[in-house]
Amino acid sequence: MASNNSKPSPILEILRRYSVFLILIGIAAVFAFGSERFLTASNLLNIALQTAIVAIVAIGMTFTILTAGIDLSVGSVMALSGALAAGLAVRQGLGTFAGIGLALLAGTAVGAVNGLLIVKGKMPPFVATLAMLAVARGLTLVYTDGRPIAGIDENFIFLGNGTVLGLPMPVVLLLVVFIIAATALRYTRFGMYVYATGGNEETSRLAGISTSWITLLVYVISGFTAALGGVLLVARLWSAQPNAAVGWELDAIAAPVLGGVSLFGGVGGVAGTVVGAFILGILSNGLNLMGVASFYQQVIKGVVLILAIMLDLLTKRKR
Amino acid sequence: MPAQSSKIRNLLRRFGLILSFLLLALALTLLSDRFLTSANIINVLRQSTINGIIAIGMTYVILTAGIDLSVGAILALSAVMTANLLQGGTAVPLAIIIGLGVGAGLGLINGLIITKANVPPFVATLGMMTIARGLALTYTGGRPITGLPDSFRTIGTGVVGGVPVPIILAGAAFIIGAVLLTKTAVGQYILAIGNNPVAARYAGIAVHRYTTFVYVLAGALSALAGMILIARLDSAQPTAGLAYEFDAIAAVVVGGTSFAGGQGGLGGTLVGVLIIAVLNNGLNLLNVSSFYQPVVTGVVIAVALLLHRALR
Repeated sequence: MASNNSKPSPILEILRRYSVFLILIGIAAVFAFGSERFLTASNLLNIALQTAIVAIVAIGMTFTILTAGIDLSVGSVMALSGALAAGLAVRQGLGTFAGIGLALLAGTAVGAVNGLLIVKGKMPPFVATLAMLAVARGLTLVYTDGRPIAGIDENFIFLGNGTVLGLPMPVVLLLVVFIIAATALRYTRFGMYVYATGGNEETSRLAGISTSWITLLVYVISGFTAALGGVLLVARLWSAQPNAAVGWELDAIAAPVLGGVSLFGGVGGVAGTVVGAFILGILSNGLNLMGVASFYQQVIKGVVLILAIMLDLLTKRKR
Repeated sequence: MPAQSSKIRNLLRRFGLILSFLLLALALTLLSDRFLTSANIINVLRQSTINGIIAIGMTYVILTAGIDLSVGAILALSAVMTANLLQGGTAVPLAIIIGLGVGAGLGLINGLIITKANVPPFVATLGMMTIARGLALTYTGGRPITGLPDSFRTIGTGVVGGVPVPIILAGAAFIIGAVLLTKTAVGQYILAIGNNPVAARYAGIAVHRYTTFVYVLAGALSALAGMILIARLDSAQPTAGLAYEFDAIAAVVVGGTSFAGGQGGLGGTLVGVLIIAVLNNGLNLLNVSSFYQPVVTGVVIAVALLLHRALR
């Protein structure tokens, strides 16, 4: 018994640590058998391309969840930033670079407002960002007058559809965002404070960590990644839609949750988030290839989400 | 002086919400002569019945410090199943009972996943939201079910003693919900669970059972709201109720029920529902573009919460 306590069964340890990877591999194996087109290079690149944008947004979301927060406004912030980028670049004639730069700034500012409502207004993150979900969507509708904005130039389109060294641009940007986020979380004091704030905010504050600053910053980060996702979505689709990314917050939350990030804060990381996003992407892609109707796909996604969490909780409890 | 100011605070805490509502109504009365007409008031009340009924269940859930994201999807699934039964010739009362049973059953699954498997309410009901919506779409092939029996349509379009039936149903649901919450042991248990689940368990309260109960209630009330909706529209859409969970949560929050659980009640939720409905109605009457409605709703949520915080 004593040895059991000091050294948990190696199989359970592996299951606990890598359960998301195992789920990913299991799902991929099923599809590889189910469809011969699944394991082709072009299809895998396609999955990466389709997953990249939601994964970028989910990485920002991960920071908020690590502090035991949540950001429901990311879908609306994506739409608002995308519309601003296209509108400023095309309608206001500022050009692609200034348009995108200002749009990223706007999304980041929306994140800062979220953070201030939570830190200074002492609002629960769920409610503050729910209010922002409504406000940012409304502002998008007002700004676009409910109509799409088209006419972006080829530099803008390149962001969504170009390739670098054979990799689609959104995938390249996902890699960049992932490396920065993973480094920040693992190797910087800021990352340590994020985990500490989520682990136990009261203790962290007593230990001298400015949890207010950390909380504010994670929403700023989430605002920025949402804005980047929104710009990429416009580039992918060649136009900004006022109702773009409705409901994307749920996928952006499901990805970290699938990847083992605890909604109670302090546990998990962005690698899990990216794996979680790919589980969702592979599910859609594989079920499409196997000819499963899109309606069933929703049912299967919901079941996978709940089962994955139950498995995660089960393996963690037995530690 | 401190006694005086705390007295004002106390009054504001108790009546601030109602006061804001009355000020809003007064402002709209002055700004538009169409606002304070009986036709418009009936119209506002009828429009708020569906959100109101869902918000009752949501209040119970949030009082236990939980959340239910699946109410809109449960509404859709129980609505299309009821509509299909009705078209297949099932007797109206039986179809209604089965529809409510579907909603309650889905809520039961939510509750069991949350209590027995320890899955956070946010994730459990997010999963259920996707599943129930997918089932509603699969069940109907994505097409609406149109043409319902007249006797069923009464619950959406009927009028009794000058009052539309949906308003009577919503009123009854509010009264029953409020009595259950404030006058019975069940209500006390639910508040206790929201305040401190561990203490509640040590006090001998069956925490799992009552936590499950609030999700069953939320599911059944969503189904009821769904029936009123399809009876009024004479058509059950698989996409019905999309994002209704956010409207219901907004009403509960504006009504002052705390996200931390254990604090708040249905009186506040009722005023919250009415504030949001009257605001949207007022913006329409004043010819404000509907694009501004979400902006106004979002700002109202934030301001209401900040005021509740300041007074608490």
